[in-house]
Amino acid sequence: MSTQLHSSSAITIRSLSKHYGGLAALDDFSLEVERGSIFGLLGPNGAGKTTLIRILTTLMRQSSGEVRVEGLDPRTHGREIRSLIGVVSQENSLDRYLTARENLELHARLHGMDAGRYRRRIDDLMELMGLSGRQHDLPESYSGGMQRRLVIVRALLHEPRLLFLDEPTTGLDPQSRRAVWEYISSIAGSMTIFLTTHYLEEAEHLCDRIAIMDHGRLIALGSSQELKDKLTGGTVYQIEFNDQVGRYAGLLGGMACVREMQVSGQTVCVGLESWECLSEVVTALNGASVRRISLKERTLEDVFMDLTGKGVRE
Amino acid sequence: MILRGSLAIWRRDMLVLRRSILSELVAVVAYPLTIYLAFGIGMKGYIGLVDGVPYALFIAPGLITMTAVNAAYNESVWSLWFHRRVQFTIESYRVTPISVSEIVIAKILSGFSHGLIKGLVVGLVIFAITPFRFPSENLVAYLAFLVPGSALFSCAGVICGTVMDKPETIGKVEAVFVMPLIFMSGLFFPLSSYPAAVIPWVRALPTTALFEGARQALVAGDLPYAFLGQVMVTALLVFIAAVWIFRWKLSE
Ligand SMILES: Nc1ncnc2c1ncn2[C@@H]1O[C@H](COP(=O)(O)OP(=O)(O)OP(=O)(O)O)[C@@H](O)[C@H]1O
Ligand SMILES: [Mg+2]
Repeated sequence: MSTQLHSSSAITIRSLSKHYGGLAALDDFSLEVERGSIFGLLGPNGAGKTTLIRILTTLMRQSSGEVRVEGLDPRTHGREIRSLIGVVSQENSLDRYLTARENLELHARLHGMDAGRYRRRIDDLMELMGLSGRQHDLPESYSGGMQRRLVIVRALLHEPRLLFLDEPTTGLDPQSRRAVWEYISSIAGSMTIFLTTHYLEEAEHLCDRIAIMDHGRLIALGSSQELKDKLTGGTVYQIEFNDQVGRYAGLLGGMACVREMQVSGQTVCVGLESWECLSEVVTALNGASVRRISLKERTLEDVFMDLTGKGVRE
Repeated sequence: MILRGSLAIWRRDMLVLRRSILSELVAVVAYPLTIYLAFGIGMKGYIGLVDGVPYALFIAPGLITMTAVNAAYNESVWSLWFHRRVQFTIESYRVTPISVSEIVIAKILSGFSHGLIKGLVVGLVIFAITPFRFPSENLVAYLAFLVPGSALFSCAGVICGTVMDKPETIGKVEAVFVMPLIFMSGLFFPLSSYPAAVIPWVRALPTTALFEGARQALVAGDLPYAFLGQVMVTALLVFIAAVWIFRWKLSE
């Protein structure tokens, strides 16, 4: 098993489980993350995203299963892994009694960087993130977006090979979110990025590959396009009738190539096995008074809702 | 290089202390000084000599020791709780390549430093307002108690700040255990005031060894080895316990 695990992947996870008492926060979870990619982990509240990140970043031990981060086992090579990773945790963990710059200096010292190197690096990163002018202020005087950027700077200071971001943009307004996105995109390629998010738009915008998880299990994996294609199982059309909706809905519902159907008002939504079925549908509707037929794009949000259900989580 | 992380975190704590040192010292000095003025000077006429020395002199070493151990305990307990539960800074330290032991050792050192600095300042203030002068051997002997005493209470504070998640609990433990332990250990009255049956029990307390030993050291220039050994061994045991408990708690 161990030889298989030493692959070229940045992260390898095999049959990972984590139990809190009787609750399985992670349940037989497996995943590979390729080096240099941006990987997005999507899931509703309580899905197990933070638990997974805590295990990968050596903060917590799994109940069973195997994990490798840059080929190393977090249970035995914690220190080595921690020197290779940068972590932006879900909570803001800035030190509010230190200025922004002092926060960064402390972090650099904990990484054993020498002063000459970290001073230059701090100057560069603060400049890049547009925080130079505020470096001697306490983080409490920063806006939420600036604080988040500061935490990202802190995580990047020691030039990690692998960056973990646990909900990097939660609580930010759309402008700040865009700024964080832009920054993440700009550093992409130079390192592997593993991020979690609730926002489908974010995953779609940033990530090369996306995993959707719920109740501690992986339920879908692929690029955003693959997920949309695979999971909608073909195409959805909206057909708007002038009259006799009920009659045609019955007719469509009975057809073999119609996978699913919803009626609302004068409109019938039909999910087809494949787009080739459209001609069959059109033939069946011969004579009907159709106002409009349109192709409905499914968003990642639809996919997400389909997979994880619509109920609000505790 | 094992203590690189400890040093970095300790420096952080000292930087923060330096910024607030003046206001902290005013608060820290006010309490023992009030007690000193009220009991040592206000009650002087009623109490007279205790164990052969003026009452003000009798309580002075204890007040300094009390300030130091209280400051050490308080710094450790609140800092641990705050950095663990409120600010999550401990978590941000834990994702860097330092060990958990380095973090807890840093916190113990910081509590210890707070205790020593504040104790010494209160000592200076008390000496400044009293006519008593001590030979330097006495001061050295006294420091031999103050140093392990502050370390002991810093470690105890780290343990409490590690296991207690609620601030109310921390306050209660201080009121029910820490303060009584300090006050019952011969701070204000000699052990001979206790009923004979109780004395062996009180003597067995490490706090008694600390307060009695520190007084004998400062007032008489003795170095009571049994007391000193007791304080040092207890400090060592509590240190080991603190490191172990912190590691255990964080590995949950
Ligand atoms: N320390 C803990 N003790 C007990 N249960 C826990 C603990 N931490 C997390 N859990 C539970 O494990 C499950 C997964 O939690 P986790 O924090 O990993 O979810 P998440 O996907 O990060 O959620 P969110 O999007 O809300 O951050 C949840 O049901 C949570 O209640
Ligand atoms: Mg989470």
